[in-house]
Amino acid sequence: MTYGLISEKASHCNRNNVLRGHVAPRGRVVSRFSQVFGLLCMLLFFVGSAYAEVPNAVPPKGEHDGKHVEQPIEFPHDIHARDNKINCMYCHTYARRGNVAGIPPTSKCMGCHAVIATKKPRIKQLAEYWEKGESPKWKKVHDLPDFVHFNHEKHLNRFIFNNEGMEVERADEVCAFCHGDVKEMTVARKVKPLTMGFCRQCHEDNDGPSDCWKCHK
Amino acid sequence: MSTFKVKRRDFLKITGLSGASAALAACDMPTTVTLEEGEEDVVSYLMPEEYVIPGIGVWYASTCRQCDAGCGIVGRVREGRVLKLEGNPVSPINSGALCQIGQAALQVHYNPDRLKQPKVRQNGKLIDASWGEAFDALKVSIGPDSDIDGSRVTWLSGTVSGHQRVLMDAVAEAIGSTSHYAHEILNDTVVDKVNAEVYGSANVQYKIADAQVVLSFGADFLSTWGSPVHNSVQYGKFRDAPRGVLIQAEPKMTVTGGSADLWLPVRPGTEGALAMTIAAELVASHGADVNTLPKAVAGQLSQFSLTSAEEQTGVAAELIKKAAGFLATRSPSLVIAGGTAAAHEHGYEAVTAAAMLNVLLGNVGKTVIPVGDFAYPALAPKKGDTAQLAAFAKVAHAGDISVALIYGTNPVYTAPGQLDLAGALANVKVKIAFAEFMDETTVMADIILPLHSDLESWGTHVPSYQAAEPMMSLQQPLMEPLYAETRGFGDTLLEIMKLYDSEHYGPFTDYYAYLRNVILAIPAAAKAGASDDDYWQSSLQQGMLKVAATVPSTLAEAANDGVDVLDESVVVDTFAFALPTYSVDKDYPLILIPAATGRLGDGRFANLPWLQESADAITKIVWNSWVEMHPATALRFGIKQGDIVRVSGKNGSVEAQVYLHKGINKDTIAVPMGQGHTEYGRYATGRGVNPLKMVAVATDQNTGEIALCATRVTVENTGRNEELVKLGGSETQVGRKLVATITADQLRRV
Repeated sequence: MTYGLISEKASHCNRNNVLRGHVAPRGRVVSRFSQVFGLLCMLLFFVGSAYAEVPNAVPPKGEHDGKHVEQPIEFPHDIHARDNKINCMYCHTYARRGNVAGIPPTSKCMGCHAVIATKKPRIKQLAEYWEKGESPKWKKVHDLPDFVHFNHEKHLNRFIFNNEGMEVERADEVCAFCHGDVKEMTVARKVKPLTMGFCRQCHEDNDGPSDCWKCHK
Repeated sequence: MSTFKVKRRDFLKITGLSGASAALAACDMPTTVTLEEGEEDVVSYLMPEEYVIPGIGVWYASTCRQCDAGCGIVGRVREGRVLKLEGNPVSPINSGALCQIGQAALQVHYNPDRLKQPKVRQNGKLIDASWGEAFDALKVSIGPDSDIDGSRVTWLSGTVSGHQRVLMDAVAEAIGSTSHYAHEILNDTVVDKVNAEVYGSANVQYKIADAQVVLSFGADFLSTWGSPVHNSVQYGKFRDAPRGVLIQAEPKMTVTGGSADLWLPVRPGTEGALAMTIAAELVASHGADVNTLPKAVAGQLSQFSLTSAEEQTGVAAELIKKAAGFLATRSPSLVIAGGTAAAHEHGYEAVTAAAMLNVLLGNVGKTVIPVGDFAYPALAPKKGDTAQLAAFAKVAHAGDISVALIYGTNPVYTAPGQLDLAGALANVKVKIAFAEFMDETTVMADIILPLHSDLESWGTHVPSYQAAEPMMSLQQPLMEPLYAETRGFGDTLLEIMKLYDSEHYGPFTDYYAYLRNVILAIPAAAKAGASDDDYWQSSLQQGMLKVAATVPSTLAEAANDGVDVLDESVVVDTFAFALPTYSVDKDYPLILIPAATGRLGDGRFANLPWLQESADAITKIVWNSWVEMHPATALRFGIKQGDIVRVSGKNGSVEAQVYLHKGINKDTIAVPMGQGHTEYGRYATGRGVNPLKMVAVATDQNTGEIALCATRVTVENTGRNEELVKLGGSETQVGRKLVATITADQLRRV
C-alpha cells in the first residue's frame, strides 16, 4: 500500500513546526516563510487525506527489509487474508482487547481445519500438533524492546473503532501501517522499522501522545 | 567494607565521562539493534478460557502462607504466570491490605534456590533422585511393609492447621505414631495460656479499633505479633478521630513502639512489675475498684510503688504516672502483652499482670473479647512453640526416635545452641524432609521430597488468630507448577495415606479432589441452599469458608452481650504471683534481645532479596546484622557507631556492627533474628549473625517456653569499625532545617 508524496510532505511541515517549538497552539506562525509553507502544507494535507485509504490518519513512514523468518509451519497469510478475505482480527482476536494481538489459539485453527483442506501437508502438520495437545512454537517477527509498551487496543480504537468513516472490514489497511501488507505474504516478514523515530513521527502526524511514559513505563 | 574512596567531584567526572562514551558508542549503532526478528518463541494457547486475554491479568483468590495469620490474597495471573499479589478485600483478616512479607511470597515461588529434584542419601551423600525413587525410599522407612515401630516415628513441623493437619494426623495414626512436635521460635504459647486462665479462652480478639487508649507490653502488634496486617487496619481506625493514644512498654523499640505516643523503655523481665505498678497507681490515684481483681493479685498491689518501680523497671515514675493517667481518663482501653514481655522466666506472670489491668479497667467484653475454640478441633491450628522443640531435642538425644518427618520448620537454625538440635537430629536414623528449600535442617535429611511453592499448592488453613467470625482460609494454586519433580504437600500426604488405606483414600486422584470432597461434605445448611458447584466456586472466589454458624460458645455470646465474662472460678486463688526483681550480673551486665523484625521474621524470609534490601524500620540497615545499643551504654563500654563488637554470653558469641539508638533500654542490647544462615540459598547464606544460637535455655516456669530475652551478655570492642550500610545516611538534619519543628512548649507560648 502506498501513500504517495503528498501526505509525506504534509507531515514534514508539521514536524518542522514541532522542531521550532510552535506546536502549541497548533498552526501558530511567526515568519512569512513558515506561514506560506504551512498553508501550502495544510492544503496538501487535506488533498492528501481525501485520497488516503484510511480516513483521519497519516500513515507512518519508513521501510525495513526484514529477513525471512523460518516458522514451524509456513503459515500462508495470503490465502487467509487476501484470497478468502478473512479479517485480521478474526484470528488475531486479542488485538482489539489488549496490549498484544496474540497468535490465534490452536483451537481456533482447528475450528476450521478440522474440515477444511485437511489433506494439505501444512494442515496435516497442524493436526499433528493438535493431536499431541501442543501449540506450534512460532518465532516472533515483530519484536519491541522490553522497555517499550505498545498497546494494540489503543491504536485500533483510534484508527478503526473510534474513527469516523472507517469500516472495520478494512482493518487490514490499519494493520498495514506497522506490519506492511501482510495479506500478500505467506509467513509474516518485518517490513516497517518499528523504531522510536518511526513511532514518534506517526504520533506527531496523528496527534498521538508525546509523553515519554506513555510508551516507556 | 571497601576502603576505596572517591571524592564527590571525581565521582561526577567519572560518571560524566562514562555517560559520554556510552552516548558516543550509541551513535554508531543502528537503532534496530534491540529489535529482534525470529529470535523469541511465541506459543499460543491451545484452548484458552473465554475470559483470558494475553497481556491482561486475571486475579485469583488464595491465602498467604508466609505466616500463620492467614491473610487472604489475590494474585494477578497473566499468560499463566503469577505476577503480583495483593490483599483480598473480602478477607475479614486483612481487608485488602498485605504486608511486605506477603508481597515477597512471589520471590519464594520464583526463587532460583528452590529444590527442584528429590534427593536421597546414599553412602552419606545426598544424591538426586526421581520422585518415584525418593518415594520408594520413604516407603522403605515408613510404608506398611516396613517393620517400623510407629512409636519411634514423629512429626516435627511448624504451626499447621486445616486439612494438611488432618492428613498429617492420619499419617501418624496409620504408622502408629503418637507424637507431633510443632516448633515456632516466635509463638504465643504463654499468652494463650494466660488468656485461657484469665479470660476463660485461649482465643481472644483484641478490638484495637474500639479502644481509646492501647497499652502494649512488648507486643509489636503492627509488625511481628499476632495478626499484624489485621492489627494495622484496626490501628488505622484507632488513630482516626477521636485519636486513640498508644503507649508501648518494651526494652527495644519496635515498629509499634516507634508509632507510640508514649514509649516506656522497660528493663527486660520487669514488664510484670510495671503492669502491677500501673494497677496500683490506678487504684491509689484514680479510684479503680480493687475488688474486681482476684484476691491473690489484689493482695500484692501494695508491694508496688512508683519509686520502687522506677528503680526496678528503669522507667521514670513520671512516665508511669502519665500512662496510668491515660488509662484512667479514657475508656474503653486495651492492654496487650506478648512478644518480648512474655519471653522471660517470669513471662507468664508479666502477661497475667497485664491481663489484670484489663480486668481492673473493665475492658473484658469490650475490647478484649474471648471467643471459643475453632468449631472443628481436628482442623484447628497445631501451634508450634519452643517447649515442644526442647521436648523433641530431649527424646531425640535419648535415641527414642527412629524416623522424623520434617515439614515447615527449620529448628537447626532457630534452636538455641544449647539444645544441640543438630546433634539430636543426627541421632535420628531417618529424617524425611518435605521442603521447598535446602536449609540447615533439610540438609541433614536422608530423604528430601521437594514441595510445590505455596502459590502452586492447594490447602486449607485456620488462622492462628481469629480476627472476626471464625473462618477457614482456602489456598488455591495461582499457576501451574514450575518444576516437574515437585509435589504439593497435601498430595504427598495423600499418596502416603493411599499406601495404608487405599479403600478410603484411593478414590481421590489428587489433593484437590480430596479437599473438594471433604469440604462439600459439610451439612447442606452451611451451604445456604447453594448447589455443591456454586458453593465450591464461590468459596474459591472468596478464598475462604465461613464456619460461623457452628460455634456454640456461650462464652462468646456472653462477650457479645457486653457481659463481664471473667469467671472467678477460672482464676485460681493460689495464683503463684512472685514477680522477679532485677539483679545485675557483674560478668554479663547486659541483656540480649534477639529481636524479631517484620522483614526476616525468624529467619525464614532471609532468602528473599526484596526483604533483605528493604530497610529495617527502626535502624534502616539493609542486608546485614547489627547490635542495637543505647548511646549511654556505648559510652560505658567505649564503643561508637559502626564499631564491630563481640557480644558474648555463657553459650557463645557473635560479632556485628553497632548501631547507636536511644530507642532501647540502657541495660539491653538487641541483635535481630534472621541472618547468619549457613545453608539457605545464595541470598541468605553467609550473611550476618544468628543471635538465637547464644540464647541460654532458661524457661518460663509456668509454660516451659524458652525465655528468649533472658540471656545475659557482655560486649567488647574488637577495634574494627566499618560504615553502616543503611538507607538515609544521616540521622540528623545537620542544622539545615529540612523539616521545621517546634517544641510543644514553644507552641503554647505562640
